[in-house]
Amino acid sequence: MNSETLNTLDSYSKNKYKYGFVTDIDNEKPKKGLNEDTIKFISLKKKEPDWMLEWRLKAFSKWKKMKEPKWANLNFPEIDYQDIYYYSAPKGFEKKPKDLSEVDPKLIETYNKLGIPLEEQKVLAGVAVDVVFDSVSVATTYKGELEKLGIIFCSIGEAIQKHSDLIKKYLGSVIPAGDHSFSALNSAVFTDGSFVYIPEGVKCPMELSTYFRINAENTGQFERTLIIADKGSYVSYLEGCTAPKRDDNQLHAANVELIALEDAEIKYSTVQNWYPGDEDGKGGIYNFVTKRGLCAGKNSKISWTQVETGSAITWKYPSCILKGDNSIGEFYSVAITNNFQQADTGTKMTHIGKNTKSKIISKGISLGNSQNTYRGEVSFLRKADKARNYTQCDSLLVGNKCGAHTVPYIDSKNNTAVIEHEASTSKINEDQLYYCRQRGLSHEEAVSLIVNGFCKQVLQELPMEFAVEAQKLVSISLEGSVG
Amino acid sequence: MNIQDIYQKNRKNIFFSENKDIETHREKLINIFENDRFDKKNNESLKNINLKNFIDFKYKYLIPEETSVINNNHENSYSIVSVNGQCSTFKDDKIEITKILDEDYNDFSKNNTIEKNDHFVNLNSLFLNSGFKIVIKRNNNIKIKISNIVTDDDLTIFQKNNIICQEGSSLSLIEEYENKNNSTSNILNVIKLEKHSQLNHFLIQDNSSNHNLIITSHSSCKKDSTYTQKVYNFSEGYVRNFHYSELIETNSEADLQGIFFLKDNNTSNNKTFVKHLAQDCKSNQVYKGILNDRAKATYFSNTHVDQVAQKTEGYQLSKGILLSDSASYFSKPELKIYADDVKCSHGSTIGPIDENAIFYLRSRGMSKIAATKILISSFINEELSSIDNEQMSEIIQKKLVRYLSKVK
Repeated sequence: MNSETLNTLDSYSKNKYKYGFVTDIDNEKPKKGLNEDTIKFISLKKKEPDWMLEWRLKAFSKWKKMKEPKWANLNFPEIDYQDIYYYSAPKGFEKKPKDLSEVDPKLIETYNKLGIPLEEQKVLAGVAVDVVFDSVSVATTYKGELEKLGIIFCSIGEAIQKHSDLIKKYLGSVIPAGDHSFSALNSAVFTDGSFVYIPEGVKCPMELSTYFRINAENTGQFERTLIIADKGSYVSYLEGCTAPKRDDNQLHAANVELIALEDAEIKYSTVQNWYPGDEDGKGGIYNFVTKRGLCAGKNSKISWTQVETGSAITWKYPSCILKGDNSIGEFYSVAITNNFQQADTGTKMTHIGKNTKSKIISKGISLGNSQNTYRGEVSFLRKADKARNYTQCDSLLVGNKCGAHTVPYIDSKNNTAVIEHEASTSKINEDQLYYCRQRGLSHEEAVSLIVNGFCKQVLQELPMEFAVEAQKLVSISLEGSVG
Repeated sequence: MNIQDIYQKNRKNIFFSENKDIETHREKLINIFENDRFDKKNNESLKNINLKNFIDFKYKYLIPEETSVINNNHENSYSIVSVNGQCSTFKDDKIEITKILDEDYNDFSKNNTIEKNDHFVNLNSLFLNSGFKIVIKRNNNIKIKISNIVTDDDLTIFQKNNIICQEGSSLSLIEEYENKNNSTSNILNVIKLEKHSQLNHFLIQDNSSNHNLIITSHSSCKKDSTYTQKVYNFSEGYVRNFHYSELIETNSEADLQGIFFLKDNNTSNNKTFVKHLAQDCKSNQVYKGILNDRAKATYFSNTHVDQVAQKTEGYQLSKGILLSDSASYFSKPELKIYADDVKCSHGSTIGPIDENAIFYLRSRGMSKIAATKILISSFINEELSSIDNEQMSEIIQKKLVRYLSKVK
């Protein structure tokens, strides 16, 4: 590992993670199961105003009438919604491993490969750490700086209390509660998530990440994120982390809403590396995420970048509604599936305004016994004059037990709009492999190099520090299944 | 009147209504219709369709009086006239034409490749009232032209044809659909290619606006066989072309191509599906469409590569030109790949005619309409110039000129 990487990671360690535990929340556990009482309990615990509770209950009544969407190319046992805790109280210390020797050695090995310092490893693995780094102060410094610019960056719970006008106006405006069963579920029981508001004309000076935010140690099971970029503003938001994350909750159903007003730009990057289950496909997280961005104003832009390597099941379609004239939507994705992982991911670009542009670059890599599907919809509505789309989705197959599928939906109702779509599926080029081997690389190194090259187009869209880690992550994901 | 009543009333002229196994199967189908009727939302086969014409249909069938003629005007060339989906039997040392038999009924309904809830296929199985079977005998090189004629108004033809190319045979088959009366033809074609056989299948569709044509075909290719299908759709009425192809033995090829020319309120639904079930097979799916006025079209293409089908090459291409601002085109090119040593790709474009190209031609003194026409012709030129049959090529050129004369 070169020193630059170490430095990057080192600098991250200073501000990336918050070491400590929030103890002010009661250890009281709600009952299992989903009913109106659960929702009232959540709302009460979060000290929410009445209108929020009503909103949740409305969503719940919609959810009761809905069925899970079945069109995805995924196989999973039926989810028992009554067998889930909907309010995750902090775990007691007695449950946590006392030191690293008690943690799964495979996890430690991965941390070492990613170059994560020892102290951080402890936090990631959930070891009870006595030494509390003073990161609260770091975070507060950032907060101060953001406040000066008028940027609001806080947890969604805090925003409901303090910025209710914004929440009332925008929450559920891009993803209506009744959109589909997972969005209704999330709307009813969400407990965690971020809220970002960038005021008019402000360019956010730093990449916002959940790690800066106090009170965000646990990735919530039902996260709700709302980002609003007012006229002429810019923000780049990072979600997730390259380090593998274990979580007791099997079902994750997050909702992310982005709203870009006139001339605003939002860049949203995700690296997802949740527990994918073991080699035999047992366990792992079911990740049903709804992400949607609305380019509401003229000349606005929303860009999604995602690297998906974790989760047993990924069901995720970050999409853009290009409503404002001249607005731009982008989607860059790398999805790697190994062992028995299943991913059905893609995007949806809905062109409504004139001169709207969208670009989709998707790279899928399947290994082992996994199934990897790209599913994307591009539609031009009647008034989308001179709209333009370019889609490229490439799949790489390693091994003969995996599957790679491409399911694009292309719909044009405008005769001045131009749509282009291309896709290819192949295995790793023998010639390239031969060339690399000839120069002394092992088979595994060669494959890793070629795959990294295959993903380059997407990885370069990630913010610098993230990109370095993501490259390593790609290599690690390939390990053990090549050759 | 519901489906059950229509069926019971017309039982006597529906094929195989005496066969018990088939009857039980049909009861199941009737149940499907009674229970979920046309579940339009989740059924690809029903996109953009005005269901009214198909749900409340009146069943009417006439057994043709005159038996159809087979001219053996050349040694290897036959022309067949199929009247209301029926054709007289014929036999010589090269080909054999017979009626379809009970055992042919299951070819379609028990095939996994074909979508289960395709309502038009189900309707056909239920009301089957015509059809014939052509066998091309071993090592013969044959040309056949079939003219499909519907004699009266309001007829509903539910036809099923079997075409079998025996080992080493080669067939060039031209099918013409040119009907001017208010009727519906629902046709299933089952095509079987034995080892080393070859079939070039041309379908020319040119019906008037009150004739609905629904064609669904399934071809299966054995070792070293090649199936080529070219569909030219100039119809003014509704046309559905759903074509499935299975490559079941090594080194076989399937090539499914189509061009459609739509105008006014016309709708066309197209689907091609190639399933690779053996090694070293090739497939190609190309559909091009030109849509004017308020025309609507859908094109679903799908390449499925089974785990054993290594060294597969499968390509798809879908291109659409929208000439008017109220035309719409939907395409869904799908790839499902379970083997790793494959070369598969798809491409799809939808857009207007290239403005720069128009500008180039106009700067050389052409009117806008003339330029548009030239560019439309060039858009499909590749397909037209690849027709090696002169007679065919002429017919299609004429129809193209007719279509272009209405482009404004």
